[in-house]
Amino acid sequence: MEATERLARTWIASGREEELVQIASDISSSKTTLLNLVKALGEYLKRAERSPGVELLSLVLAKLAPDSLNRPAVRTLANFYTDKLDDADTIIPALQGLVTLASFPTFGPAEATTVIEGLLRHVKMKALTQNHRFKVFSIIDSVMANQREVIKGMGKKFLDGYVSLCEGEKDPRNLVLVFAMDRVILIEFDISERVQSLYDVIFCYFPITFRPPPNNPGGITADDLRLTLRSVVSATPLFGPLAIPHYLDNLAAVGRPAKRDILETLNVCLPVYGPKIARSFARKLWNSLKLEVFQPVDVNTEQLALKTLQTLINTIYASEEGNESQTDVQGLARDACEECLTILREPEKSQARPATRVLCSFMATTPSVAKFTVSQAIPHLTKLFINPDEVTARPATLVLLAQFIEAARDAQDKDTTTELFLAPYKDEVLGALSSGLKAHNLRLPSLGGLKGLVTTQRLLTDQELGFIVHHIDEIIQDHPDRFDDISDGVLELLGSIAEVAPQIVVEQTLPILFSGLPDVAPAREAAAGRAQAWKALSYLQTLCTEPQLFDTLVVRLTTKLEHLTLANTLQVKVSKKHADVAKYLERLVVRLFKIFVYSALEFKETAATFLEDPRLLQAAAQCMTLVVRSLPQLRQEPYIKSLLLALSNGNIQPIIRRSLQNTEGCAAKHLRVFLLPFPKRLDVTVLRGCDATLQGATFREMQQFTFVAVIVNRKVDELEGFLEGFSTKFWSNEVLNAELSLERRHWAIVTWTWVYQVFSDASINWDAAKSVGLIPGHDDILTKDNHAVTRILYAQKYVKVMLPQTISGSQDTSGGWINLVAFLVALAGLIKSAPKATYLGELPSLMPLLIRGLDLPDPQIRSNVIETLLAAADGETPEKSLVAEHASTLVNAMLKNCMAKEMPSSTVRVAALQYLAVLPSIVRYDVLHPYKTQVIKELGKALDDPKKTVRKEAVEARTIWFKYNG
Amino acid sequence: MSSELFNANPTVFSSARSASNTSDTESDGDEVEEIDQDEIFGLIRTIYDPEHPNTLEELRVVSAPQITIKRNHIVVEFTPTVPHCGMSTLIGLSIRVRLLRSLPSRYKVDIFVKPGSHQSEHSVNKQLNDKERVAAALENPPLVDTVEKCLSKPSPILQLI
Repeated sequence: MEATERLARTWIASGREEELVQIASDISSSKTTLLNLVKALGEYLKRAERSPGVELLSLVLAKLAPDSLNRPAVRTLANFYTDKLDDADTIIPALQGLVTLASFPTFGPAEATTVIEGLLRHVKMKALTQNHRFKVFSIIDSVMANQREVIKGMGKKFLDGYVSLCEGEKDPRNLVLVFAMDRVILIEFDISERVQSLYDVIFCYFPITFRPPPNNPGGITADDLRLTLRSVVSATPLFGPLAIPHYLDNLAAVGRPAKRDILETLNVCLPVYGPKIARSFARKLWNSLKLEVFQPVDVNTEQLALKTLQTLINTIYASEEGNESQTDVQGLARDACEECLTILREPEKSQARPATRVLCSFMATTPSVAKFTVSQAIPHLTKLFINPDEVTARPATLVLLAQFIEAARDAQDKDTTTELFLAPYKDEVLGALSSGLKAHNLRLPSLGGLKGLVTTQRLLTDQELGFIVHHIDEIIQDHPDRFDDISDGVLELLGSIAEVAPQIVVEQTLPILFSGLPDVAPAREAAAGRAQAWKALSYLQTLCTEPQLFDTLVVRLTTKLEHLTLANTLQVKVSKKHADVAKYLERLVVRLFKIFVYSALEFKETAATFLEDPRLLQAAAQCMTLVVRSLPQLRQEPYIKSLLLALSNGNIQPIIRRSLQNTEGCAAKHLRVFLLPFPKRLDVTVLRGCDATLQGATFREMQQFTFVAVIVNRKVDELEGFLEGFSTKFWSNEVLNAELSLERRHWAIVTWTWVYQVFSDASINWDAAKSVGLIPGHDDILTKDNHAVTRILYAQKYVKVMLPQTISGSQDTSGGWINLVAFLVALAGLIKSAPKATYLGELPSLMPLLIRGLDLPDPQIRSNVIETLLAAADGETPEKSLVAEHASTLVNAMLKNCMAKEMPSSTVRVAALQYLAVLPSIVRYDVLHPYKTQVIKELGKALDDPKKTVRKEAVEARTIWFKYNG
Repeated sequence: MSSELFNANPTVFSSARSASNTSDTESDGDEVEEIDQDEIFGLIRTIYDPEHPNTLEELRVVSAPQITIKRNHIVVEFTPTVPHCGMSTLIGLSIRVRLLRSLPSRYKVDIFVKPGSHQSEHSVNKQLNDKERVAAALENPPLVDTVEKCLSKPSPILQLI
């Protein structure tokens, strides 16, 4: 007792934390009691300035465990604190005490009543600061959480008091709490007699225009408030009649974010407010929402308005869905439909599009409304289309019709049992669309519409599909020259038909396309014929990815030997992972193989010309690779065996010899491609054979080296000896390009030592340096698909080793200018193909080197450098830019590189212009500003470039600089 | 709001696909590709109408045949959507600014309203082709700002509202 008294006295004198802790722990360990504390505080609690006493009590209370007080103690304290509420001196500590007390489990209904009544009676919110008001709300909140029935029992008395407490609250932290309580009250309490006053205190905040202050206490964002308030306003249907006019008034008046907020809120509220209210405000809502759709502020708002409209329709008509007999739709949907249709009388006007969007959005609402909309809109449009007075509006009519078809399709997808909306009108629509196909300017929209029809499930019969295909065939046949600009649309449509009914396309369209193909490849001079054939082939290529179609394609094309197309189609197929590729092995590969061997062995004229076309050979090889690649292991075995046999018997030798002489190594490539797919089963003997072959051939061609590279790639370990001999031979021949690509990735370190030696030899260092750059570049020969042994991250590793070497090499000036150039060249090549992350750390030291690289004469290198700079610019900001200090040099170098007079390569000019366009976004304005006039003036010259692509970039760069204003 | 627009409901046409796909081959030869009608059309087709979120091409305010090139002289003709369109001068100014920035200085550009398509055709033409007047207009920051928006974004006036 004395100890407590002493502690209390000390605290009142000092206000220190320790005494509080001491008292609290004494009470918890039963050394003293709360009663003792109250006694000890006796005189302080009675004195004129009583607040320190109450405060101490509250603070101690806050430190006690929630279950440490029994019910009588809580009741006494509750009464005590409630008494203190009417006194301005003690209200603040009393509130503090009540906050703690209200959260105790022993805080019962009787206490709740006392406290709440006390709060309502005594607290004057306007006199309190934010955190004290927060306490008031917290007390009510915890009472509401724990003793809700008590408050409910207080009825109107509570509601009135609560409203007056909330009135004028402005702090966001308090509001979040208030809104949470509002929602509970609205949902659970009987508010029917106080709707207006609650509406007043809640809707005065709507829409939220809060913008968080700079330091934002409590970290509450506008969105937090918006969402909580939305959950409040949508809590009760009783708000409906009051709220909707409020929303609509605001919708017209406020800015964009608030507009969106209102629309979203409406979206949430309408279903809650119910069909009755929605119906009574339907007209007003429609008028306001219409404005948002027809005069949209931006796309998002328009979308939201449409969605709200859908919600409105759904709310109004959802309840009527039960009775099927009612087919006639009354009310808003009808009015709105009619209004939109009036606008649609002029389909070419800009308002027709939003009107269509409104109608389309109706289709995604209730079935009866959707049916009604379709029954109004589609006949209207088809009638409009056939009306001879409206010929000029036909394209627009068809565009809108196509939109309707798509909307109808999308609205229907989920449900497969009901009757299709479009079914009753399909004949008219089909008629309009197919007659649209006959006029040139109507084709594109009709194709779109037809595609919509075709992709609607279960709508069209095979016969009707055939009818469409027939019309399209007519287009293809009749107007080959005017067909170009719509070919994409035609192919798309045919493609989607082929997905549904491949047979029709096979029977009707393919013969036409094939008949356009000559049996013998047209002569080179016959440009028109060739173009024609090409066109037909490219159509075939796009079309024939469906299995059934592809089958036909293969049969037809192998006889015509247009493998180029075949290869491309195959590529598409493989990428789509179709399963049927494998079965073409026998038919296709064997045939091709025969053709090649046959033609190589017999030196017929035709065969020679055939082999001379490198593209053809390449395509054939590609075909085989693709097919073989997709085969399962098991099927590959016999194929490999026969091929190996052929190789070792030397059967193929003639091909190689012959073609090497004639066809610039294409056959070798062909051979290489044959070998590529093999798993590691090659014998060294085979290699030896190849080696011999290669020795016999000229060493210039890259092809052979890649061929060897492939083999070496597999056999690194066994072939070390072979390699060494091989590479020395190369050395003597000074064929470095291929040499480097051969060893690509095995021993990056070895490579660099070699290269390092090479660099000192001035005569060849240029080539060497270039090839260093080539190595990590992407190519499609040594890829995983071809079973190459790709070590993970080899490119990165390679770059990591090479980069520091090259950098230090380029910074070392002792080797003279020639060496330096070589290193710069290597650097440029290397860095272009390296992933950005690998050189990011080095960038500061790289930058000067790159800029020096811009002076090198080779355009390829310059474009490498600029591309690297462009890649490095990605992700830079004016605040943190590496290039800022080089801005002047860069600007000048780029300006020099973008002039046609000084830089003959258009690629470099384009790259330089692109970099100039990027500069303003990565360098601070004050740094770059002095160059603005100069750049704009110089770019004016680039505008007169002889190349179109360069001019385009120049225009873009110059526009950016014009707009560059701090 | 709609009453403030000169033409609240203009006719919108579908825009043709870009003509650029005809000869987009990356040839690095020496042949000179002259600036042609399509290229100039390409420069101005994407300008936005000040009143609507549509491009000038979509509203058929400009079209390729309305552009003529004679050596270093270019004439661009445009058609306002309605004869009383008060935005015509602004549209013309936008076209002028775009071409001023995107064409070599050797070209002389004349911009005219299509004869008979505008009430005050003469004054619009005069305003657009008088060097001094154009320069004066471009000294006016709010006006330049609006032009800038026409050149980059849809419908600046709608955004202001």
